[in-house]
Formats: sequence, C-alpha cells, structure tokens
Amino acid sequence: MGRLISCKDASRAISQMQDGNVPFPLYLRIRLHLLWCEACKRFEQQVRFLHRAMQRYRQ
Amino acid sequence: MMPTTSCVSPTLMTEADFASRCNSHRGYLLRVAVLQLRDNDLAEDVVQDTLLAALQGAKGFSGRSSLKTWLTGILKHKIVDAIRRKSREPAFASLDEECQLEDFDALFDEAGHWENPPANWGNPESHLSRQQFFDVMQFCLEKLPPNTARVFMMREVMELESDEICKELTITSTNLWVILYRARVALRQCLEQNWFAQAGRTT
Repeated sequence: MGRLISCKDASRAISQMQDGNVPFPLYLRIRLHLLWCEACKRFEQQVRFLHRAMQRYRQ
Repeated sequence: MMPTTSCVSPTLMTEADFASRCNSHRGYLLRVAVLQLRDNDLAEDVVQDTLLAALQGAKGFSGRSSLKTWLTGILKHKIVDAIRRKSREPAFASLDEECQLEDFDALFDEAGHWENPPANWGNPESHLSRQQFFDVMQFCLEKLPPNTARVFMMREVMELESDEICKELTITSTNLWVILYRARVALRQCLEQNWFAQAGRTT
C-alpha cells in the first residue's frame, strides 16, 4: 500500500475528496492517517464546516 | 359576515409585488456576483440581467424553492456566461499563477508536518446563526486571490460539479483541486485568525 502519507499530502487529498473521488489506495491511506493525526482530522472537519457555512451563506 | 382570511398564493401575487420581492434580494445577488467577477460594473450588469430574466420568467417560479434560491439559480447561469465571455479577453488574469503547489510549502515543515496545526474550533456550528460570523466570512472571501475566489464560489455557492468548472474555465482537474485547496486553506486560516481565535473561541 505504499508509505505513510504526510500531513502535506493528506490535507491536499482531504480537500480533493470534497470535489470528487480520489483513487481508492489514496483514500485508504488518508483514512489511516486520520486515525492518528489530530491536526488533519481538524482540517477535515473544518473543510466540511466551510462547505456547510457556504451553504448557509447562500440562503 | 366574517371577513375571509387572506391566503394569497404566489400565482395571485401582483407583478409589482413580485418585482419588489425580487428586488429585495439585489444586495445579496450583487455580493455574490462581485465576489466571483471582481468587477463591480460587470456584476451590476449581471444582477440587472438576472432580475430582468426573473421578471420575464416569473411563471417559472413555482414557490417550491425560496425566491432567493430561485434567483441564485438564474444568477449562476448569468455569471457563468459572463465568465465565459470574459475568459476570452486577454485582460483576464491567468489562472496559472494561482495553481502553484510550491505556495503551500510554508505551511508544512520538511517532513510534511503542519507548521501551525489547525486549532480546535469547538462547536463551529453554533456560529452559523450569527451575522457577524458571515461578515468575517465575507471579509475572508474578499481576501482570496481573484481566480481562487471565483472558482471556490462556483464550487461551493453555485454548486457546479468539478468537471463543469473545468470545462467552463478550460483548466485541468489537477489545477482545479489545487485552487480549491488554496481557497480552503486560506479561508480556514483567515476564519481562525479573525473569528475563532478572538474572544477565546478556540480551545
């Protein structure tokens, strides 16, 4: 499955997941990374929050 | 005789009522258009055009969605048209300079760890009911580089699919992802500094 993913690569892929599919092996590596990386977990939550905030902004 | 209680259906609404209700959303429509087009005159034109189209197509408004949503849908098409026309002009800033991945290097150390990890925002949902939060959001959106803001709004406000945006702007999906990543990283940081970090909202 390749090496562990860095926060730099993970955060980029987390953003990309909002806009379409990422390749499955990459998806697995991100999920694995998110299991132990608190910072990227927050980044993911905040990216999702931004999406909800923009939906509210539109209303 | 008891007076009948008034229950006016949208179809019975007079044209003037409809026009004034549409017009009450002008400010919002203009804000969205300015953010995406970064050109006040063009944005005015696009909003004008949207309101005209709304009045002409008033029958198309079923009342199932809110008037604002319906108007935003029309605006979306008008903005995409305007961007398409504008992107043929040489003055339209090139997207390339907003697609550079090296710009993100400063956010991470050499091993790829966050230099400044995202803070804990607590329960951010509770801020969505506050107008001031959206004022800060507006400020942060305006600080984004022009194309980054435009693409982010197309994706998150207009809810265009990734491939539609790529087609409209003739960019690759990789470029699109980099631009959206840039927008999210910058907005996240700006909201953290200007909202969540204030008054101890982060923990």
